[in-house]
Amino acid sequence: MISDEALMLEFQGGSRAAFEELFARYRKPLYGFFGRRLNNRERAEDLAQETFLAVIRAASRYEPRALVRTYLLGIALKLLAAERRKLLTSSTLKQSAREPQADGTPERVLWVRQAMEKLDAPEREILMLREYEQLSYSDIAELLRIPLNTVRSRLFRSRLALKSYLESEAKTNPALRAGAGQPHPERRGMQ
Amino acid sequence: MSTNRHPIEQEELMAYLDGELPPHQAAEALSHLELCPECRTLAADFRGVSQELLAWEVESPEVGIPLEINAALGEHLQKQEAAKVSSPRLENRVMTSRWVWAGALAIVCVAVLLKLTLTSRNRNEDRSTAYPSMASIEQYLMPDRNAEIALARSASPEAISSDAKILILGWRGYETAIEGKNGFVCMVERSWMSPFNSAEFWNPKVHVPLCFNPAAARSILPLTIKRTEMVLAGLSKAQMIDSIKAGFDNKELPAPELGAMCYMMSRAGHLNDTVGHYVPHLMFYFPLTDKSSWGADLRDSPVTLNPQFRDGPEPITEFVIPVGKWSDGTAAPVM
Repeated sequence: MISDEALMLEFQGGSRAAFEELFARYRKPLYGFFGRRLNNRERAEDLAQETFLAVIRAASRYEPRALVRTYLLGIALKLLAAERRKLLTSSTLKQSAREPQADGTPERVLWVRQAMEKLDAPEREILMLREYEQLSYSDIAELLRIPLNTVRSRLFRSRLALKSYLESEAKTNPALRAGAGQPHPERRGMQ
Repeated sequence: MSTNRHPIEQEELMAYLDGELPPHQAAEALSHLELCPECRTLAADFRGVSQELLAWEVESPEVGIPLEINAALGEHLQKQEAAKVSSPRLENRVMTSRWVWAGALAIVCVAVLLKLTLTSRNRNEDRSTAYPSMASIEQYLMPDRNAEIALARSASPEAISSDAKILILGWRGYETAIEGKNGFVCMVERSWMSPFNSAEFWNPKVHVPLCFNPAAARSILPLTIKRTEMVLAGLSKAQMIDSIKAGFDNKELPAPELGAMCYMMSRAGHLNDTVGHYVPHLMFYFPLTDKSSWGADLRDSPVTLNPQFRDGPEPITEFVIPVGKWSDGTAAPVM
């Protein structure tokens, strides 16, 4: 399989097919990145597209110093920060409630989302980058511009907090626990 | 969990589960986990949290490349094409001055080369690599026998490794630490199983846990044993290459058996300084085979040709297929 980095260099050299391949590899992961953080499907789709547009615009400046995956997530994080700033100044903030809405989402997913909402924002972001985007500690440190030890300690705290929260929730709602811990058919990370 | 009773901190245990510990600490963590029920519970808790989080899937709508991106892409590629077409004229304009610069550059290069030659004349080490020659044997040995056994076992799921024969490296070569029952052999290979031209051929940090299936234990393991014996005997690379060629010629070394393969699913290994523990994968061995017969290295193909024996004295082709889980069943990052 051709590496992402080789594809990116091919794209820099003018290959449309290389870009299409990168798009195919990263469309879903980027949608997932925004989808989990914004709880808004339309905006998630828009911002995933924005990320690819930014890649096209900056193609000539790309240098294979970092993994393409990290490079894309760096762009995505910047777009996310801008989106959140916009939300802060608009009434949308009230609508994008802190408590996730039950829009046909399975109860277990809501449960996880609620648990995540309880975490401090910086710890939540690190946990999500690790669990969903499957970034290494050093990649997370580089993207968030924080020391490696901080990544590790925050990740540790967030996992312990999440464990404790999920356990207490499971006690009050044993039905949720019934399906928990079962092997999942497929891990969807940055592929 | 008190740090007095446990050689590793809880945070380190978490880092181990994430594949983030350096090899020697990872081996120590793995070894401790085998012995400590309290840490195993904590490890299970961490894995449980990760498992719970996987419930949160985000289904992406199935769409092709949106029009806006397509348009931007077309425009970008068009501009690039135009730039390529116009560049020869620009090249012509700068050709004359380029000759002047080339002459000056050549003079500078000669001066630099002369300087480098003079300064390195008395150095007998290969400056192109951080591991120019063999380190002391001690540096390749793992001080903790149990840690090496645990590391070897971590190469495959427990259902396989628990009944496998375990080899560990000693001063005189590999020795049997535990007899097996299922024909599999698990061990930790060292850097000298890298290609002979690898810059890390002598890297003492390399620890490659793997479990050979019975066919590979019969037909590939002898090569590992032979290379190791030659290294410990102090043979040069050239001597080793000649000896391996002769070994295959006189059938002392067998050809890969049909179905020979190995598991490499450990999160605690260190394959080299570039890829670290790499991703969990399986390797399949064949007599020299065209990679196209497996579709290896083609776009979207999960199969790659492993360079371990490429251009080497061994008439072996080795294919690699990444898998999605570490040997302990937890999900692994996909390449």
